[in-house]
Amino acid sequence: MRRVAVIGVGVTRFGKHDRSSAELFAEAARDAIIDAEIEPRAIQALYYGNVTGGESERQLHMGPLAATILGLPTVPSTRFENACATSHAAFRHAVMEIGAGVSDVVLVGGAERILHVPTDHATEFFAYCSDAAYEQPTGLTFPGVFALIARAHMEKYGTTEEQMAHVAVKNHRHGLHNPKAQFQKEISLETVLKSAYVADPLKLLDCCPFTDGGAAVILASEEVARRHRRPIWVLGTHAATDTMFMHEKRDLARVPATERAAAGAYRQAGRGPGDVDVVELHDCFTIAEIVATEGLGFFEPGTGGMAAEKGWTSVGGKIPVNPSGGLKAKGHPIGATGAAQIAEIVTQLRGEAGPRQVEGARTGLTHTLGGNTATVLVSLFGCD
Amino acid sequence: MTDDVVTLQRFFAEVRAGRLTGIRCRECGELTIPPKELCAACGKRAWDTVPLKGDGTISSYTVIRVAPRGHTGETPYAVAVVQLSEGVSLLGRVVEVPLESLRVGLAVRFRPLVVGEQTMVGFGPA
Repeated sequence: MRRVAVIGVGVTRFGKHDRSSAELFAEAARDAIIDAEIEPRAIQALYYGNVTGGESERQLHMGPLAATILGLPTVPSTRFENACATSHAAFRHAVMEIGAGVSDVVLVGGAERILHVPTDHATEFFAYCSDAAYEQPTGLTFPGVFALIARAHMEKYGTTEEQMAHVAVKNHRHGLHNPKAQFQKEISLETVLKSAYVADPLKLLDCCPFTDGGAAVILASEEVARRHRRPIWVLGTHAATDTMFMHEKRDLARVPATERAAAGAYRQAGRGPGDVDVVELHDCFTIAEIVATEGLGFFEPGTGGMAAEKGWTSVGGKIPVNPSGGLKAKGHPIGATGAAQIAEIVTQLRGEAGPRQVEGARTGLTHTLGGNTATVLVSLFGCD
Repeated sequence: MTDDVVTLQRFFAEVRAGRLTGIRCRECGELTIPPKELCAACGKRAWDTVPLKGDGTISSYTVIRVAPRGHTGETPYAVAVVQLSEGVSLLGRVVEVPLESLRVGLAVRFRPLVVGEQTMVGFGPA
């Protein structure tokens, strides 16, 4: 496969917006085109991610809509949906399109708009990412899915609610330095621990927020990327799927799809967990970050809670995790998240992350989890 | 090949009647919850229908306090993954167990929960 690089990134402010998801994506894509220093007409395909548009915006056929609003109405456009891993899945397919020699420049990303609907509707739409026959009728929510994982992790390894709270405190501290983040304020351990239960043992401040926002990246073949000031190379990208049914997960304290996606991406890149300098991973809930740091090989299974407590995942720690503030503080527009994580790692590897820069970062990793842990993508990035 | 297919519709019709149904692969012995076209363990299609007794223990649980549309009047309510005595698990609403008594390892027993058109797997005290 041909080498592929990221040459442009763009992310909207995350939070509440009064524009459609396609408009939000177009804003991010415009910034990515400017960042890539390319002519818009150089783009040969659009891989667009969105999850709830059919429900929250009464809008399907979103690929061509996004392309039309961006001002590229004739670019071949396709919409991807893989729950919260949507735009990371779109990214992997865009990498393959360039890698296979079909195109030289591809725009990929996504957007979500959800804050205009009532919370119970948004909670219902997100629950559509769980099985409709066995799971939705029980009233299981997404916090509920991760509460089942948290309870199993606590039971098996002795992980505590306080250790989970450390993840929230750390990501809010990181988000303070991200001007695009939905929350730019620190929170104390006590505030997290005193917040109300949403799905025991997860509390409100263990959960990422609902978010509107868009993110875009521009991918290029090596020949095109060499003309760019600072190409960031895709070293590996791998997708893993696991059973959709919560009742078939053999060990709720682990996420096998993370372990398999990581193994595939490390193998492609010829790197291992010890080579990674900076990570953006899927902290939709605090327990999700703990389990991901274990599944990605940074810590042994069962020790992710302790690692969070000891500060090993802070910027300046052993393995800086979520310098952007993560989904927790930056926000989680589910169709945009994968691309936004990639945008952060590209910014970090260029050395352009300002006050949240991980000094000397040369290899970065993104991890995006979809829904009830049935979809996970992991990608590795490096600079020249 | 078998024509004895347990569809979702049939599984939940059985649930309404108070029965849980698994399927077992004649080729490799894998027991699973329907519907499945091929056996994920061996790739064959040779299913036998197996009644499940409905007794099991909680392997994880949560208490939902912020609910999706359609369930907001029901909070707080418990949802658990229950490992049945045959080895397979099912997710279900837990009823008639005080929320503060919930714990991993608690013995429970299947009961059908029917609300209007909607049927779900439920579990109550063993």
